[in-house]
Amino acid sequence: MNSFWNGKRRYIALLLFLAGVFVALEVPPVIPFIQLPGENLPAGYNIPFTDMRITNTLVAAVIVWLLLLLFLVYIARRRPSDGSEVPPGGFYNMFEALFEGLMGFIGGIAGGPHFRLIFNMFMTIFLIVLLSNWMSLVPGIDTVGFIHAHTKEKFDPETQEYKVITTDGFEIYQGFLGISYVNGQCNWISPADEAAADDRAMAAALAARAAAEQDALVEAAYARYQAEHDDHGDEAPGETADDAHADDDHATEPVETDEAAAAYDEVLAARSAEKQARRDRGCYTGVAVSSWEDGYEPAEKDAKKAPIPLHPDPSSDDAKRVPWVVLPLVRVASTDLNMTLTLALIAVVMVQVVGVRALGISYFTKFFNFSTLFKSPLGGIDVAVGLLELIGDFAKVLSFSFRLLGAMFAGAILLFVMSFLVPILPWPFFILEFFVGAIQALVFALLTAIFMQLATISHHHDDEHDHAEAH
Amino acid sequence: MDPQSTIVLGKAIGAGLAMIGAAGGGIGIGLSVGGAVQAMGRNPDHTPTIQTNMILGVAFAEAVAIYALVVSLIILFVLN
Repeated sequence: MNSFWNGKRRYIALLLFLAGVFVALEVPPVIPFIQLPGENLPAGYNIPFTDMRITNTLVAAVIVWLLLLLFLVYIARRRPSDGSEVPPGGFYNMFEALFEGLMGFIGGIAGGPHFRLIFNMFMTIFLIVLLSNWMSLVPGIDTVGFIHAHTKEKFDPETQEYKVITTDGFEIYQGFLGISYVNGQCNWISPADEAAADDRAMAAALAARAAAEQDALVEAAYARYQAEHDDHGDEAPGETADDAHADDDHATEPVETDEAAAAYDEVLAARSAEKQARRDRGCYTGVAVSSWEDGYEPAEKDAKKAPIPLHPDPSSDDAKRVPWVVLPLVRVASTDLNMTLTLALIAVVMVQVVGVRALGISYFTKFFNFSTLFKSPLGGIDVAVGLLELIGDFAKVLSFSFRLLGAMFAGAILLFVMSFLVPILPWPFFILEFFVGAIQALVFALLTAIFMQLATISHHHDDEHDHAEAH
Repeated sequence: MDPQSTIVLGKAIGAGLAMIGAAGGGIGIGLSVGGAVQAMGRNPDHTPTIQTNMILGVAFAEAVAIYALVVSLIILFVLN
């Protein structure tokens, strides 16, 4: 295995290059589809036994965890347990060098009684973020997936919200800044469709009633005919004309038979049961009060703007108008705000935990500092500073999550665009992304360590000492 | 102009304006790298420390530009 990679196989790189040229010339380029929230995998890829949908960024996150677990087991098995000096080599050696380097680095910043705790958090966050950042460099990630028709977002006039509809017609609720959650139970039905379904149900009910009435009429007419032919077989023609006239009278006036009313009620009850079932599942049930407004008026626009069905038949004309896009099976976890926000919350909460461990309950005087309010003429400033610290800790969450999200999402877009602009040689940008991923992971983890170190320092007391010495 | 084009126009202009914020990040990165290179020239023995701190400072300055980038990405891809 080692000899295979010993530098004699460089023609593999050349072959890959030629393959890139071939692909770039032969395969027509597709427009990269960029979406900020993680895309949902199609229905059928739910979490087993539930209706919860899986996003492709979650797949990447799970892969990262499994890789870290394997990595941990590997490192633990390779570690010489009895202190025997087995000369380490290969991957283990590389990791040990990295580990020791980072340990010294963090020791210089946050050496002290809480070094172990801080370094554990640092290394955990570093490895998670590093692995998930570097996943964007792996071929197939972000590119291999399900091809589907891209359907656009819809504005819902009832709830005044935008709704994204996935390929299979499930709603994604978009909350603040692309944090999305999915109602996996509901197919999206627009208010116009809902009204059309109502109209169809009403028409079906009317038709059923008319059919029942018709049946009743035919029945009655047949009965009369039978009776006439049995009883008055030798009637005068004038009387039959009278009878026909009487039949016409019968036909025009509505016959309220029980069967007709039952048929009518049955159809409408089925429709309202269907709507109730949707409502019971927590689905949005649109009722068209006004016409469906999304800036689209079928009468004025040309046929190109006509709505594209959610499941276009690939051989139909509709399919030719569909922008087909790839829904990647795995998308880099740190390009999803859910992932970065979670890490940021964990980091900031752990900063508070470290602070409380170091300083006890007096840690919170950092935020609510009323001790000098009436002692010193400038005590009010301390209160304001404390409140600013409190706000600053919430700002830390935002800045942590947006820094990582922005860097990695922009990197992913850069890789998309460059792969489509320069399909033969996008490698320099992959090298750039390699460094950006490493630096962002280091910055995320290092900032956590620095904030933790700052939280362990009781600067309140130090300030008083400084003031005393200064005076 | 039809409403769809107006929306696209507004999104493009807004995203472009939001990226003005990246100028601040550029200035910051330039200043910090300039200072670090001067310091490394003066005492090359401290190059590793200076380099580490420089990369950290660059990452912080870059973060501001990234915020602008995130805003413009949200304007482009999340707003509709």
